[in-house]
Amino acid sequence: MAEKRKYARKYCKYCEAKIEFMDYKETKMLKHSLSERYKIMPRRLTGNCKRHQEMVELTIKRARAAALIPYVVNTKQVIATPFDLLNQ
Amino acid sequence: MRHYELLTVLKPTLTEEETKAKVDFVKEILEKNGAQIAAFQEMGTRRLAYPIQKLERGYYSVFYFTAPTSAILEVERLIRITEEFIRFMSVKYENQKEMAYWNKQAEKFALKVEKEVEAEETLDEESPKEATTEDLVSEEVVSTETVVVVEEAKATQE
Repeated sequence: MAEKRKYARKYCKYCEAKIEFMDYKETKMLKHSLSERYKIMPRRLTGNCKRHQEMVELTIKRARAAALIPYVVNTKQVIATPFDLLNQ
Repeated sequence: MRHYELLTVLKPTLTEEETKAKVDFVKEILEKNGAQIAAFQEMGTRRLAYPIQKLERGYYSVFYFTAPTSAILEVERLIRITEEFIRFMSVKYENQKEMAYWNKQAEKFALKVEKEVEAEETLDEESPKEATTEDLVSEEVVSTETVVVVEEAKATQE
């Protein structure tokens, strides 16, 4: 029980912001759901609700296709500050 | 007629005139195929997340339009043929929530002619405001009693 209390309770950040529709061009919103290597984070780690997780998945995939977000970040093509890509 | 959004990425190596010509080209083929363009969003040249055809940058532009379903296939075919486009993506807006967002975006990026009119209107509004502040300053000089009133008025304005 003591271990559990260490962490704050997870909640869906998109529900809090009352987001009805996600635009793939607004990549800042997807930041919560992306790992450092730009993988889609699982719901059990981010705390997203099912509805918003499905929206996030679709939006990230669209943003990747439009070259707004990288598909992979590997050791071969290192970006110094990967999250700067989002803030353009 | 359905609601769509079309994102195109042009090569950064083109000159300004050429990019403009290509944007007009897209508009033309959309309208030729029975589409009504509601808005055009220019995202400008920005870094690509990964190189496409060994290019690091791309010129982004987004079109919001309504079109019959058959138009998309033809427009995509034409864009695919044109070499200057390194990437494109069309998105369909279907349910109510998506449509609401489409309308919002269409209003936000309504075609340029309307925007200029709005800009002029705002300019007109600003000019009388400046005049009033000047009047207030002149009143300050006239009497010290009115200064307090003027300051209050300024505070409310702010």
